[in-house]
Amino acid sequence: MIPDTATRASSHSPSEVNAWIREEMNARLQALENNDRDALIDQRLHELEREWDVERSLQSNFAIVSLVALALTAGNKRWSALALAVPAFMIQHALQGWCPPLSVLRRFGFRTAREISDERFALKAMRGDFDEAVHSRNAQAIAKASRRK
Amino acid sequence: MQPTTTRVEASTAAGSNEAIRQDSEQRIAAYIQAEPQAIEQRLRELDREWTTERIIETEAPLMVGLGVLLGLTKDRRWFGLSAVSASMVILHNLQGWYPLLPILRRLGVRSQNEIEQERYALRVLRGEHSRHPTRVSSDAASTTTVH
Repeated sequence: MIPDTATRASSHSPSEVNAWIREEMNARLQALENNDRDALIDQRLHELEREWDVERSLQSNFAIVSLVALALTAGNKRWSALALAVPAFMIQHALQGWCPPLSVLRRFGFRTAREISDERFALKAMRGDFDEAVHSRNAQAIAKASRRK
Repeated sequence: MQPTTTRVEASTAAGSNEAIRQDSEQRIAAYIQAEPQAIEQRLRELDREWTTERIIETEAPLMVGLGVLLGLTKDRRWFGLSAVSASMVILHNLQGWYPLLPILRRLGVRSQNEIEQERYALRVLRGEHSRHPTRVSSDAASTTTVH
C-alpha cells in the first residue's frame, strides 16, 4: 500500500530515465576503477558545461521572485515595494556586482562563469587539447582546440 | 535543459554564430606573434566586454520595473509588461532563447563562453596550458593560476 522509501521515486520515473542515471553512475565508477584519467576529465568537463553559474541562477531567482511580487502587488499595492526592489537589485548586480541573493548563492557554492571556466581550462590542458595546436602556431587550430568540449 | 555554456549559441542563427566565430579567430591570429604584455592587455579588455547575460540582466529588470511603475500609476494592464519580461528571463534560463537575442547576436554581442574560448587561446599562446601537464608525472600540476 505504502511504497518503500528507497524505491518510491525511481519506481515512478520512466525506465529510460532510470537507465540513464544508472549508466552515468556506472561510467563514473568504471573510470575510477580503471584509473582512466581521460574518461574522468571528459566526465568532469561534461558536468561543468551544465553547472549553473551565478548569472544563470540570479536571473532565474530575479524572474521568479518578480512574478511572485507582481502577483502580490496586483492583490495589494503594499507589495509594490518588493516588486520594485527586485528588479532594482538585479540592475545593481548587472552594473556593480552585488545584490542580496548573491551572498546566499555564493555560500551555497554557486560559482561565477570565470571560476568554472578556469577549471575547464586546466582540465582541457591536462587532456592535451592544446598540445598539437600550439606547435602549429595556427590561429584556427588553436581556436578549434579552445572550443573542443 | 540547455547546458549553461552553450545555451546562447544554441539559440542563435547559424550565420550570427559563424560571424562571431570568425571575428574571434581573426583576433586570435593577430596575437599569434604578440608580446606577453600585449596578450595581457587583450585579456584585460576581454574582462570588460559586456556579455549577453549582462545586457539581459540590465534590460529585463528595466522592463519589469517600468511595468510595475506604469501599472501602479496609469493602468493595471501594464503589469502584463512586467510579467512577460520576467517570463522571458525564465525561458532564457531554461531553454536559451530570449526576444532580444537575435538582435544582440547580430550586433556581435558574445556569450561568456565565447569570450572564455578566446581567453583560452590567448592563455595557450603564452604557454599557460603547460602548467597542467598532459601526462601524470609529478605534482607540477597542482596550481591553477587565475587570470
